[in-house]
Amino acid sequence: MVRAPEWEMYIVWYFFLGGIAGGAFFAAAIADNFGGRRDREIAKVGYFIAFPLALICGALLTLDLGTPSRFLNMLRMFKFWNPMSIGSWGLGAFGVFTVLCAALSLGESEERLALRRNIAKVGSLFGFFLAAYTGVLLSNTAQPIWRDARLMGALFLASGASTGLASIAVISYFRGANLGESWSKLKKADTFAMVVELILLFALVLMLGPAADPLTKGRFALPFWGGLVALGLVIPLALSFVKAGGGKERTAGGTLAIVSVLVLIGGFLLRYVVIMAGQL
Amino acid sequence: MAKTLAMFTDTSVCTGCRACQVACKQWNQLSMEKPEWTGTYQNHEHFTEKTWRLVRFKEKRAEDGRLKFLMMSDVCKHCAQAGCLEACPTGAIYRTQFGTVNVNQDVCNGCRNCVSSCPFGVIAFSYETGRVNKCTFCNDRIHNDMPTACAKTCPTQSIQFGEREELVTRAKKRLAELKVQGEKEANLYGVDENGPLGGLNAFFLLLDKPSNYGLPEDPKLPQRNVKTDSAFSIGSALLLGAGLLVAFRERGGNGEGGGEE
Repeated sequence: MVRAPEWEMYIVWYFFLGGIAGGAFFAAAIADNFGGRRDREIAKVGYFIAFPLALICGALLTLDLGTPSRFLNMLRMFKFWNPMSIGSWGLGAFGVFTVLCAALSLGESEERLALRRNIAKVGSLFGFFLAAYTGVLLSNTAQPIWRDARLMGALFLASGASTGLASIAVISYFRGANLGESWSKLKKADTFAMVVELILLFALVLMLGPAADPLTKGRFALPFWGGLVALGLVIPLALSFVKAGGGKERTAGGTLAIVSVLVLIGGFLLRYVVIMAGQL
Repeated sequence: MAKTLAMFTDTSVCTGCRACQVACKQWNQLSMEKPEWTGTYQNHEHFTEKTWRLVRFKEKRAEDGRLKFLMMSDVCKHCAQAGCLEACPTGAIYRTQFGTVNVNQDVCNGCRNCVSSCPFGVIAFSYETGRVNKCTFCNDRIHNDMPTACAKTCPTQSIQFGEREELVTRAKKRLAELKVQGEKEANLYGVDENGPLGGLNAFFLLLDKPSNYGLPEDPKLPQRNVKTDSAFSIGSALLLGAGLLVAFRERGGNGEGGGEE
């Protein structure tokens, strides 16, 4: 007879936004370091997404404690084997990298660019960490579903990548940025992340076996199958492949924006159903 | 280092009087709570932040068809490998010199990671204080050479307090006696130091399978998979990193992108 920790919407939002922040940041770092001149616009959007989200993430965790000042108690220990402990430190460190990269995205000088790229390379490690550790945290508790989900961290990381890229795409679209071939790169990256996420999700459910029932049957069946799987992954993937033919740049961007909104909904539902179904 | 202390709860002599439950409340100044209807004499359904000793009443149909009670005074197990202690990010949960597990109320920040990590669902969050509570093994009493309040008050010696080694010997002897008397299902829960969770410092003699008392048959340390799960995550990171790199890589000239091609 285990007891649910009563982690509610603060934690759902934190897991969701933390995934986006981490994913947008490491996607930006990769685009910045290995992409071309035009990909820098994507990179900047990624940094500008990660920075405020990292702040919001800290605020959400602090609010969840009830007495916000007690967040400082997290910083009296460094238990590197404890996901929540290094998660707190990791989020703090990640925040520093996002501030630096966002600040260095304000100007155009070559020196700033070079510095930003190098900082982003190191920071991307914390981005990967932030997207994944929340899953490892869940899978190392005594709660049903969570405790047997060996792939939870891997899945959350893939979801962080897909939602991070999706948020970059949505914001770029509404900015009306002229991204040229960067659209197709963004799309390629997001499609890849979605495929990996879908595979990991099915592997996770298969590995859970009957333990997955609270997630896949009953009251969470609809948000899981209809929301996360169909609306959040299968439909956007289908849209990406169907429209692969090309067409005008603006339409390509439009499709990507629609796909991205669906991916974001799916990413939120993933955190929601996993957190809620584990505490039934 | 002081010797490891323990409580041995022998359910075969429990009469369900709940003196332990009351003594715990009195000594630890735990206020009244609304009762719950559980269908039996048991109250509450489970531990709460203000109920640290709880007498469980489980109904069982005996071979002659009559109902009988399986009674068990349940408590925090003070595991040698404690999930709550591992989970605590602030260091509020600590192990005392007596081997017991305790919560430092001044340091707890209410994150509830321990709540999610107790294999027995013992530790509970209080919305009044915003911190977690559980049995302290009467920390104030044991530091003054007194037994725990529940053990002191138990009229049938169902709850025994003492040094772990000695209590284990006593428990094994008692089990052998019961087997001779025909209690075939009787078993010791949490005695073995090489067993689940490294042994429990509050262990039990049960008259039936642990699951019939609501106890997990094979409790495991929740944090045993951190390395495996992290390895899977790193694998996922490498895969996605490589995928994104290929997607964003500048083909052909690769003027200033600098990179791995």
